[in-house]
Amino acid sequence: MSATVTNYGKTGNTSKGAGKKQIDRLLLSLIGYSVISILAILCIIPFLLIVSSSLSEEGKIIENGFQLIPSMFSLEAYSLLFKYPAQLLKAYGVTIAVTVIGTIGGLFLTAMTSYVLQRKDFKWRNQFSFFFFFTTLFSGGLVPWYLMIIKYLDLKNTLIVLILPMLLNVFYIIVMKSFMSSIPEAITESAKIDGAGDFRIFIQLIMPLSKPALATIGLFIALGYWNDWYNALLFISTENLMPLQYYLYKMLGNMDGMRRAMVSSGAVVTMNIPTESLKMAMTIVATGPILLAYPFIQRYFVQGLTIGAVKG
Amino acid sequence: MQKKKSFMLLFAIIMVMATVLSACGGNNNGNTGTNAGASNTPSESNGNEQPAANDGKADTSEEVVLKMLLVGGKPIDYDVVFGELNKKLKEKINATVEAEFLDWSDWTQKYPLKFAANEDFDIAYTANWAFYNDQALKGGFLELTEELLSANMPLTWKAMPEVAWNQAKVNGKLFMVPNNNPEVTDKAVLIREDLRKKHNLEPVNSPETFANYVKTIAANEKGINAYNAKAADGWKWHELDQILLEQQNEWNLVDYNIPLAYKLTDEKGQVFNVYDTPEFKQLLAYYKDLADNNAWSKNVVSNKNDVWQDMKAGKTASYAHNLGTLAMNLAELRREQPEVELAIADLTPDKKKIAAISTQNGMAIHATSKNAERSLMLIDLLQNDKEIHDLFMNGIAGNHYEAVGDDKFNATAGTPNFTGFSNWGANSPLNRKDASYPAEADAIANAWQEKIHNFALETFVFNDANVKNEVANVGNVMLRYAIPLEYGLIKDIDKGHADLIEQLKAAGIEKLQQELQTQIDAFLANQ
Amino acid sequence: MNRSGFWGDVLKQRMLLLMLTPAVLFFLLFAYVPMAGIVLAFKQFNYGGGIFGSPWNGLDNFRFFFESGNAWMVTKNTALYNIAFIVVNNVLQIAVAILLFEAVGKWFRKITQTVLFLPYFISWVVVGAIAYNLFNYDVGTINSILNAFGIEPIDIYNTPAYWPFILVLVSAWKALGYGSVMYLAAITGIDTEMYEAAEIDGANVFQRIFHITVPNLYPTIIILVLLAIGNIFRGDFGMFYNMVGNNGLLFSSTDVIDTFVFRSLTTSNEIGLSAAAGFYQSVLGFATILLANYAVRKYDKDHALF
Repeated sequence: MSATVTNYGKTGNTSKGAGKKQIDRLLLSLIGYSVISILAILCIIPFLLIVSSSLSEEGKIIENGFQLIPSMFSLEAYSLLFKYPAQLLKAYGVTIAVTVIGTIGGLFLTAMTSYVLQRKDFKWRNQFSFFFFFTTLFSGGLVPWYLMIIKYLDLKNTLIVLILPMLLNVFYIIVMKSFMSSIPEAITESAKIDGAGDFRIFIQLIMPLSKPALATIGLFIALGYWNDWYNALLFISTENLMPLQYYLYKMLGNMDGMRRAMVSSGAVVTMNIPTESLKMAMTIVATGPILLAYPFIQRYFVQGLTIGAVKG
Repeated sequence: MQKKKSFMLLFAIIMVMATVLSACGGNNNGNTGTNAGASNTPSESNGNEQPAANDGKADTSEEVVLKMLLVGGKPIDYDVVFGELNKKLKEKINATVEAEFLDWSDWTQKYPLKFAANEDFDIAYTANWAFYNDQALKGGFLELTEELLSANMPLTWKAMPEVAWNQAKVNGKLFMVPNNNPEVTDKAVLIREDLRKKHNLEPVNSPETFANYVKTIAANEKGINAYNAKAADGWKWHELDQILLEQQNEWNLVDYNIPLAYKLTDEKGQVFNVYDTPEFKQLLAYYKDLADNNAWSKNVVSNKNDVWQDMKAGKTASYAHNLGTLAMNLAELRREQPEVELAIADLTPDKKKIAAISTQNGMAIHATSKNAERSLMLIDLLQNDKEIHDLFMNGIAGNHYEAVGDDKFNATAGTPNFTGFSNWGANSPLNRKDASYPAEADAIANAWQEKIHNFALETFVFNDANVKNEVANVGNVMLRYAIPLEYGLIKDIDKGHADLIEQLKAAGIEKLQQELQTQIDAFLANQ
Repeated sequence: MNRSGFWGDVLKQRMLLLMLTPAVLFFLLFAYVPMAGIVLAFKQFNYGGGIFGSPWNGLDNFRFFFESGNAWMVTKNTALYNIAFIVVNNVLQIAVAILLFEAVGKWFRKITQTVLFLPYFISWVVVGAIAYNLFNYDVGTINSILNAFGIEPIDIYNTPAYWPFILVLVSAWKALGYGSVMYLAAITGIDTEMYEAAEIDGANVFQRIFHITVPNLYPTIIILVLLAIGNIFRGDFGMFYNMVGNNGLLFSSTDVIDTFVFRSLTTSNEIGLSAAAGFYQSVLGFATILLANYAVRKYDKDHALF
């Protein structure tokens, strides 16, 4: 299906075969490969630094700073992270559950909302768009929001509290709406004439046509859930429900915060923890699974299904 | 137009629906265990409990679960230790305790929220650096009257010095059971004694000898920061200021967030702006001289590394901290790197000392607690019942610590499993000391103890409710203008100093000073 | 079905309205009802009174901000930084998306796309630590390199002038992979028939990019930019705080509203003061977005936000 997208250039070239075409293509490739390579290097070096530092002996990091090759190899940071493997596994489990449920639910609701908002015949599309958008500008702050969730919804220490508050995001709704508006209206029109209801049109026609958009927004929603620690910080106090990022954040934050508190309280506590290498190891532990999964998700938006391909 | 109105109507309907909906969801918080096992016989006759007879003593016939809010990471062996603790508590006051831990990483955000949402808890850790005044003024804590205290906290009522209670008063009212730990918390400097000897320097015991040490190291030891600080973490002073400005001149800063102080010996308590003094200008010249001699890194204000770790790695040759921490550092390095010799240097040995303010740690009762009396009984035991105090502070003997006599302990492999949270609210003379605590630190502490100066303003606490905006702005100016100036990063110190004074004026330092002076005058008039 | 007017419309579009209901309820619950908290900006909060019962104190909570003498500077910094971020980030992301789509082979694209995404995963705390290693005066990587070439070291942490560039670059670097995915998705949505037509007309690759790809991205660009404009007075706290920290020497060119407010409130923990600052940002953002949206509406009704 994607063949039409990726191959159009070549078909053009072979059919015409003119020399001028070859040159501009070559030039573009040259620019493309060199620019992307440079950017890729800029993005990968810091990451390599992180990998190397996470495997480095703490003392050496303090002595020499971060280095691309560890001057003294050590697994101390990882052994600390994996000191309680059951805990860490549980945290992975929570994060994965939250990410999967949240992404599926959030994506569906986002798409449904966006679809309605982009329907040109929907009478209140502007008013509702404004209704949603307004929430990105004004907010009542942390306290009332916290009160709502703790007091009125009573969601403290539940899995739901990690999912629900992030289920919908105006930004995604609007972007999705913009993506969907490129779907020809004729599709909805003709289905309506055939007697299909709005919901059925959405499920059976629009959803399949929006795959690249769904993949993109789905990726963003998933990343949002994967990286979230703030909801857990506020609403989770039992270890069983701690997601990965919060578990890691807490580990590091406790050491930094402790040092500060010691100055003010006059208390004395000795700690011997490889902060720097731990920070780096945490990044790897938290990012690893997503990086492994990324290539599989990627194919959807790299060679996504396009309208042209469907029609052609 | 018609369209708009209709939309508004629809909107209003949905709004009402949502309100009804949200109201339905509320008010179903479980009432956990308030009457779990009411059949227990009241335990009146416990040998070591409250020798003083009292009639006002509350009825403990009903078993309660007390909820306690502590700051810090949940210790790994929480269940074990608190299980043991609860057995004893049940016996003594027919209550058990459940602690919730607010991690160091986020307690500043969560702590006020717990109060704002009026969550269900009875006791909260509090301290002058943990918004004690603020929470008290906002009505977060229950006022502790003399009757409440004497009836429910017999041990503490006897043990706590009058000064400690008075220091904990906000606007004349008490909201906290402060810790009972009258140690001096002055700062000292940790130096590399081996390097000092190597360069044949005289012992470091004054600002001059310290400057000499630092400059010599900076000139001769490549790759070592002669002095280091983590200036980036929001502290509004040069880390040597407490020693070289406050201790050296025998001043007392009223609050570390504002640059106003009085002289210890001044009975009138005349407040002045410390930045606007000849002593400060002299100190600036002293700092500038050190900075120009590369005593510290040019990027000290952005330093993100932990200074003690730097020192252990041999990259830093001195840093300032409170005596207790330096002593533990010293002990740690003696264990791990006996070849490196460190020493604690007291730069102001002859000056008057101030006893630690009692509100550095403490415990308060939540304003809406239903078990205030029992909670006070619990705090009483935590602070002053030897057995329970030991459990709460150190964990289980033989597991988390090894008892050495009655007042010392040795760390064990289990020690890290029960530490790192704010049990400091229960500090008292019953605290055990680490047996590996270096003798020289003890010697310094004892010497300090003899120079404790008592004065009328000792119990004065500034209430900044009327000048919140000025406090915020002055703090900002200190970070932005004073810190770079003190670390010698501004080339022209006279101009930098003038800028600082001017910015402080713009931020409202005069109003602040006036307010503070008024409060001090009123306080002294009341004495 | 023969009813007219408002209720007739409601009836006719009941399915669409029903489909919208979950989202409407969601935002009522999590945004509109808590929005009542805005009143805290005008109140002296206490626990007994709570949100509604605490006494009013007029504009007192705004004083710390406006009387600091820094209000204009931090507001200006916030807006300028965000404008720079919007322009630089979007241009780069579009360029990268087009190059990934048009210019490079499949495998190269797959691998680099993953690599470009890496910075997104690095938390600002870690980015700050790496930056410190790179920039610090004594042993920083940049100065070590300069030193090797016999060039004078540069004192980055004490020189405000470098920081706008550093921050814009870091922001672009971190958002590159994430942002270009959005544009990549938009490009894949472009009707390929258009390309084929251009091909037949004899347009070269660059003409095709500038005459077909870029114009087809306009709706996406406009939406993303409009969304960003609404938040033009909110600084990315994580980034500014971890990159600059409490280094007062740099504030003149790096302080944004969010860092300024954070520093002001570390000691006072006053809910009303932070609500006041947030309200100020909201009002400015609201005014800006209304203007921007109005401008877009004039140009093309379909592309406006509302």
